[in-house]
Amino acid sequence: MKSVQDQPLLRFAIRFGFLILLLGLVVFFSIAASGFAGARSAVFVFQSVAITGILALGVTATLVVGGFDLSIGSVATSALMLSAYVMVVMEQSAFVAVVACLAMGALVGLVNGLLIVKMKVPDLLATLGMMFLLVGLQRIPTEGRSISTGMTMPDGSTTEGTFSAGFLWLGRHRFDLVLDDLIPVPVVVFLIVGLLVWVFLELTRHGRLMYAIGSNERAARLAGTNVNRYKILAYMISGVLASVGGILLAARLGRGDIASGNNLLLDSVAAALIGFAVLGAAKPNAFGTAIGALFVGVLLQGLTMMNAPYYTQDFVKGAVLVVALVFTFALSSRKRGGGH
Amino acid sequence: MKLFRREIIKLAGAALLSGTALTSAALAADMPAPFDNPGEVQIALVRYLSTGDFFQASLAGVEAQAAALGVDLRVFDSRQDAALQADMVDQAIALGVDGIIIQHGLTESMQEAAQRAIDAGIKVVAFDVNVENPAIPQIEQSDYLLGKLALEQAIADNGDTWAAGYVYVPGIAPLDRRDQAWQDVRAENPGIEEVAVFGTLDNPIANSVANQARSVLQANPNITVIFAPYDEFAKGVKIAVDEAGLSQDIDIYSADVSTADISAMREPDSAWAATVATNPAVVGEVSVRALAMLLAGEDPGASVIVPPTLITQAFLNDNDITNMETLSAKMPQFAHADVAVPDWMPLPARN
Repeated sequence: MKSVQDQPLLRFAIRFGFLILLLGLVVFFSIAASGFAGARSAVFVFQSVAITGILALGVTATLVVGGFDLSIGSVATSALMLSAYVMVVMEQSAFVAVVACLAMGALVGLVNGLLIVKMKVPDLLATLGMMFLLVGLQRIPTEGRSISTGMTMPDGSTTEGTFSAGFLWLGRHRFDLVLDDLIPVPVVVFLIVGLLVWVFLELTRHGRLMYAIGSNERAARLAGTNVNRYKILAYMISGVLASVGGILLAARLGRGDIASGNNLLLDSVAAALIGFAVLGAAKPNAFGTAIGALFVGVLLQGLTMMNAPYYTQDFVKGAVLVVALVFTFALSSRKRGGGH
Repeated sequence: MKLFRREIIKLAGAALLSGTALTSAALAADMPAPFDNPGEVQIALVRYLSTGDFFQASLAGVEAQAAALGVDLRVFDSRQDAALQADMVDQAIALGVDGIIIQHGLTESMQEAAQRAIDAGIKVVAFDVNVENPAIPQIEQSDYLLGKLALEQAIADNGDTWAAGYVYVPGIAPLDRRDQAWQDVRAENPGIEEVAVFGTLDNPIANSVANQARSVLQANPNITVIFAPYDEFAKGVKIAVDEAGLSQDIDIYSADVSTADISAMREPDSAWAATVATNPAVVGEVSVRALAMLLAGEDPGASVIVPPTLITQAFLNDNDITNMETLSAKMPQFAHADVAVPDWMPLPARN
């Protein structure tokens, strides 16, 4: 078999295929769906993927070290409930709520990491356990009720606190850019987080070591890397980013909505996996994850504008994921020489 | 002796109706068998769905009415596991309960289990699940009326000619029944144009629906009314309408209500104009009362319908209603449904 290096067309397809597909989709929807083309519409796409995108960047960090974090969805919904609890029931400020959520995310990540490196629990199982634990835990303080101002607590008292304006700002404020009130805060957070994770993974020594752990843990250990510490760090990044997503979700909804977070988990994992295919990376990477999230966002936005029913959207999401995985595993492994 | 007791019951009922404050404990001795000794009566609630505000409130209603009767209540939660729910009915049979309330579930899985309970001499009522058994009364909130009342309000507010957005996910029984109302109203009012249908049940539902609604509003700027017959849908639509800065131009009509919904409806310039709801706690109470009537040898009827109530934004604002408790206090028809209330029936205390 000829190597991919001798087939410029195939090499080009692997490298830029997904970006071209994304561009093609945008052009298609701009023609087919009225109102799709335009700055506001573009911002909608970004906003609809901002939260899952942030979670996906967290998953990416764990994928890089060869792990996986199934608990991100439930960390996000726990942060949603916790922020509501802190503000509405305990009547604390937005600042306290945010700090509490971030600390919770870091703690969950730390526990996940310790379970995996110290207790030797396989990553999927440890984070699966954590997922169930959090789904239950977040409902205990309110006996399964959603949290909102004026709700009646299990002990019969009525809650007095409110979501502070500063907190809601996180989910609802829009910065002016060319047009007034254009860019929502979650999109800005998504872009900043994306940039930070990208810089950390691609440009710092720590990021390189994490990739080294992911590709060959033993080699990395023998080369003197503190594998355990980096693994724990990856899960803490994942936990903190998931809680950031949960905070933004709470700020947008304006109440502590009980939800399992399973869809958040699936959507963000899909984004991270689609990211493997972007630029032919064939490995988890921050840029790819962001593009993967946008890809799904563009599709859903366009389909909704064309009145496509919800089940076709799940179908399309699945189809995109399958195609992306084919890109990654079939085509890219040939690039490495003949496949495995 | 028996005759004498009947007289007492009538007297007690009359006393209750005339509003005399009688505690349920005082009444206990005056209720028909087997409630003359209510501590010995054991009933089971077998639930299919349990997470969410609606089911929490409905459980609270079941508990309140069971406490008012003084009976022993066991709650079985199958957490959306249809097979487990059927097993739980068998567990309740083995436990020797006197009555069972089946709450939601699937006809296919519950039909035989319900029959086994009947065969074991246990009285059964079913809430929002059709077990196709003439011996089992159906407790229902009328989803059709829920949709119908909301749409009638939409027509009263906006006339009979508008472009509508409609939030709907087919295949969910209550939403399908509400959809029937939408189809009927549209057939009667050709001026109502359905320009977009969307909807999803992806968790968190409000967030997912908000993302969709924003795209829909962008693509169809002529929409003035959105019919979102489920409060999670309405919440999502409201987020999108607010984000698009259209809260003055669009009216949202929905179904169901919760404390959070009330505050969303009462926000300044809220687009959420009205909702129609059946109090889930009342539905829970009615389920227990219907079962109690069966146990006492009375017939609640094959179908017990709990009527819904229209709740408008103006009513909430005028009466300064902030949560479900104040809503119940200001709107008596919401706090209590005059359904399945024989004279002897003690009612939960209202505060």
